[in-house]
Amino acid sequence: MPHEATHPGYGAMLRRIGAGRLGGLIALVVLIVIASLLSDRFLTVPNLLNVLRQIAIVGILAMGMTFVILTAGIDLSIGSILGLSVVLYAGLLESWGLPVAITLGMLAGAGAGLVNGIGVAYAGIPAFIMTLGMLSFARGLAFIYTGGTPIPILDETFYNFGNGYFLGIPIPALVLIATLLASAFVLGMTPFGRSVYGIGSNEEAARMSGVPVRLYKTVVYVISGGLAALAGVVYSSQLGIGTPIAGQGYELDAIAAVVVGGTSLFGGKGSVWGTFIGTLIIGVLANTLNLNGVDPFVQQLVKGALIVVAVFGMSRANRT
Amino acid sequence: MPLKLNASLVTPLLAVRGLGKSFSGNVVLSDLDFAVHAGEVQALVGENGAGKSTLIKVLGGVYQPDRGELLVEGEPTRLRSPRDALARGIVVIQQELSLAPHLSAEENIFLGHFPTTRFGTVARGEMRRRAAELLDSLSIEIDPSVPVGRLSIAQQQMVEIAKAISLQAKVLVLDEPTAVLDEKRVATLFALVARLKAQGLGIVFISHHLEEVFRICDRVTVLRDGRKTGEAPIGEIDQEWLVARMIGRDFPAHARQARRFGKPALELRGLSRRGEFEDVSFAVHEGEIVGLAGLVGAGRTEVARAIVGLARPSAGTIRLHGQDVRIDDPGKAARLGISYLTEDRKAQGLLPNRPVRENATISSLGRFTRLGVLNLVKERIYVREMIGKLDVRSAGMGTEIRYLSGGNQQKVLIGRALAVEPKVLIVDEPTRGVDIGAKQEIYALIEQLVARGVAIVLISSEMEEVLRLSDRIVVLRRGRVATTLSREEASEETIMRSAALAA
Repeated sequence: MPHEATHPGYGAMLRRIGAGRLGGLIALVVLIVIASLLSDRFLTVPNLLNVLRQIAIVGILAMGMTFVILTAGIDLSIGSILGLSVVLYAGLLESWGLPVAITLGMLAGAGAGLVNGIGVAYAGIPAFIMTLGMLSFARGLAFIYTGGTPIPILDETFYNFGNGYFLGIPIPALVLIATLLASAFVLGMTPFGRSVYGIGSNEEAARMSGVPVRLYKTVVYVISGGLAALAGVVYSSQLGIGTPIAGQGYELDAIAAVVVGGTSLFGGKGSVWGTFIGTLIIGVLANTLNLNGVDPFVQQLVKGALIVVAVFGMSRANRT
Repeated sequence: MPLKLNASLVTPLLAVRGLGKSFSGNVVLSDLDFAVHAGEVQALVGENGAGKSTLIKVLGGVYQPDRGELLVEGEPTRLRSPRDALARGIVVIQQELSLAPHLSAEENIFLGHFPTTRFGTVARGEMRRRAAELLDSLSIEIDPSVPVGRLSIAQQQMVEIAKAISLQAKVLVLDEPTAVLDEKRVATLFALVARLKAQGLGIVFISHHLEEVFRICDRVTVLRDGRKTGEAPIGEIDQEWLVARMIGRDFPAHARQARRFGKPALELRGLSRRGEFEDVSFAVHEGEIVGLAGLVGAGRTEVARAIVGLARPSAGTIRLHGQDVRIDDPGKAARLGISYLTEDRKAQGLLPNRPVRENATISSLGRFTRLGVLNLVKERIYVREMIGKLDVRSAGMGTEIRYLSGGNQQKVLIGRALAVEPKVLIVDEPTRGVDIGAKQEIYALIEQLVARGVAIVLISSEMEEVLRLSDRIVVLRRGRVATTLSREEASEETIMRSAALAA
């Protein structure tokens, strides 16, 4: 085939890294140029590290959301699952110690995802409804567990995890990068990841092709719930408090990042690289609005407009 | 003194010159000239993937040309949208009709340009009168007040045409209008086309049935691989001329010797599934093709689905190489060496927005996986080889499969079925919706497989196909085996008799 790159693996690798998200990348670069023109403080190392720290939580959530959306599903419960995991970390820390608290909190997140997955894949409940139910249910659990009052976290190691640096980079940002790399690896280099795309592209065809569709769909929600709990670790360690309202509305920020990153809500098309760029676009925008002292209420308008404009622009660009 | 005009000397109603169009590097049309004149029926023929649909979409304003120009009555024109095309009197009638099923015929005809009263409401009386007049002038006999959803497909087609006329159409493009019609309805449609032609419309007619082209067309244009390979007045050519230009290659006559089979590969014993089929028993041997014939609804596909674990049989057993097996899902079937090529490519086969490469290997990812990680290099080498062997024509293995023609899509799906190295292959309508050339290639492929000892079950509604390929033919009637015919006994007549007539 003369049309293909000469080295078989090389072209695929490039495509995977570029991931066809050139449009998003260009938008990000333009945004960065504008941001640095508007404020001298934007293009400084401390500020950029700060952006990375700020986007970590939504970024991690958005990685999980990407898996779900690639199968043409949706997970509205991740903000609540984050909240549930946060109160568990805070509540269990003192009497059980850090490792047990983290393990149990993560298991709770993955468990909630498992319930979502079984509901969607085996019981055939629409993902929107199933995860809407879990949104309310997990949040309710968080409130019941705390009795409605936040639990302070007084563990220095834990606090340092959320606020410290490793090799000069904020640890939450490293967690995000690690999540990105792991997700990209799973989606691009494993039969499971390949099948996730197949399920999203045509579920019936994937089933006919021997893909264990129900199992894989369940796993996707477990990943999403598990990553929500991981984002919860970052959240509670950053703030030093376990509040039952943690993560309210974050699911929508995650969906926004995924969609701005070019992943199709109809499934089968997109990548975590795109989601990463989408997260960066939203994060850089918020940062530059803050640096320029824009009213937080007005920031909401700008963010809303950005999402619509970005997606509109991409749908135009994708039309051949 | 009236002049007799030669059509080719008059300015055509609609023409393209030097038209070129490509999609993501895939050249679909190149350097194409095409014209329709007033009072002329111009046929457009070619295999699937020859570029007919793309040309129609350019004519109808759906696609913009990359190169060349489009002329409406001699004037270079840019059609930015289907609406633009309509405004210039160009109407395309697709295979999939675009009527509002809950509205009546008259409402559909005037949708978008209702006659109104002075209060701005629809003037029902006038609409009714004008609809009746219009239908009458076209000799279309339908009740204009009935919701079109209750009309037959043929009648709906007529309503679409009437609508086109009410929009002052000058050029009417009919995309395979006869594909959904029976012989009697085809005659009615052709009578209408003849009347429209007499009224001075230019008509573009697309059909796979070449005899229809000779029946109603004045000129014919042949496309192959996006280029024009022939154009002639219909009186000067014959079917052979057309076919030669459509396929551009010769097929060897298919004389063939009897096959030698091995041991039984797949045996069904009393297989039943309540409400679908009952007590179905037959065996397929290594290196044998068993045709599964029968009318639509006789249970052929249902049997296939039960074999590959898409539906659970309520009774009976499946034996594979002499051992009873239980198959719960297609994944298990694939691991046991049974592969199924679906009849419904679009709904059950294609991963439309994924590349050819991923479509080819989705069933066989295991063979490219080590320690849970895909070896992408190995996969690409494999797919490249497969694409070469099956002669899949596309811009490359990275092209999304939805951009391929039906025949090439089917070859990729065959590649997918073969990638699991099946011992038993069930092919369901393997050549549905593929062109003549690809059809021959698919037959050749099936014959190669069977020569290598694969056991094949062939489900097909095309009698010719079943007769040509099968060693034995199992005829199903209402979910039961009506008869099993040997190659010598089988003919179109014997099959039809067992399939369609009560014993």
